[in-house]
Amino acid sequence: MENENLSPEQSLEIINQMVRRAQNNLSNNGFYFIFWGWLVFVTSILFYLLIEINCDNPWMVWMLMFAGCIYSIVHPFLLKRKNEEKAPRMKTYVETYLGYLWIAFGISLFIVLSMGFCLKEATYPVVIMLYGIGTFVSGGLLNFSPLKIGGACNFGISVLAFLVNFKIQILLLSLSLLISYIIPGHLLRNKFNNRKSP
Amino acid sequence: MKELDPILHSQLRLSIVSLLIALKEAEFEYLKNESGASSGNLSVQLQKLREAGYIEIHKTFRNNYPLTTCRITEKGVCAFDLYVKNIRTYLNPRPKVN
Repeated sequence: MENENLSPEQSLEIINQMVRRAQNNLSNNGFYFIFWGWLVFVTSILFYLLIEINCDNPWMVWMLMFAGCIYSIVHPFLLKRKNEEKAPRMKTYVETYLGYLWIAFGISLFIVLSMGFCLKEATYPVVIMLYGIGTFVSGGLLNFSPLKIGGACNFGISVLAFLVNFKIQILLLSLSLLISYIIPGHLLRNKFNNRKSP
Repeated sequence: MKELDPILHSQLRLSIVSLLIALKEAEFEYLKNESGASSGNLSVQLQKLREAGYIEIHKTFRNNYPLTTCRITEKGVCAFDLYVKNIRTYLNPRPKVN
């Protein structure tokens, strides 16, 4: 394949073709959007219902998040073991940037929830805003419009959440998860599956 | 007209560098599948790119099998940029003023 007689046009064609191939490898299958979307959605609805029926310590339902964190940490290792002998791997810069984004998101969320006693009724609106940042930037990095739109909607929902009472805030949180995590997550998974099977 | 970098001005080496420029790193098998090259030829060309300082090659093991991972270096990125720039001057030659 040693070909020194490449014309400039052929060289450019090779470059275009290869860069397109490398960029065509969609590495995100939407797992975390679907997993966290459904987990927090179901938990927030349960939280709302427990408050409605005047249950003692309804907030205990949020303990489910610890299980979610443990599964999120273990999941890549399980997946790696399962896929090791399958398709050869490459790593995109987008994966690295997404990693940093979601680490920053996790830390910010932890700070906001820990400082809930200071933020009081502003806690959920700020959480919704953080969801918006995470999904909007992810949408930009993955060039995936449903995530960008979902993230942008969260900013509007966040403003609305500042103006309503706590119970309505919980329902708005569920709505934000549906719009910015669950629906885009499933759409991303469809896109990923369609790319994998030409 | 500027002379084109002979290291990059080869179909397979240019393909490899073009793939790596868009990625953080890639396994040998991935480069082989995407470029359509044979293992032997790919090894030789990767070695040439490594000797020129355009790529880094890391050899490790996974499940007792050797695993080769490649990534482009800063020198490789600069060489690629210059190559593309020079290619453009071939395609759009501009007469010099003065």
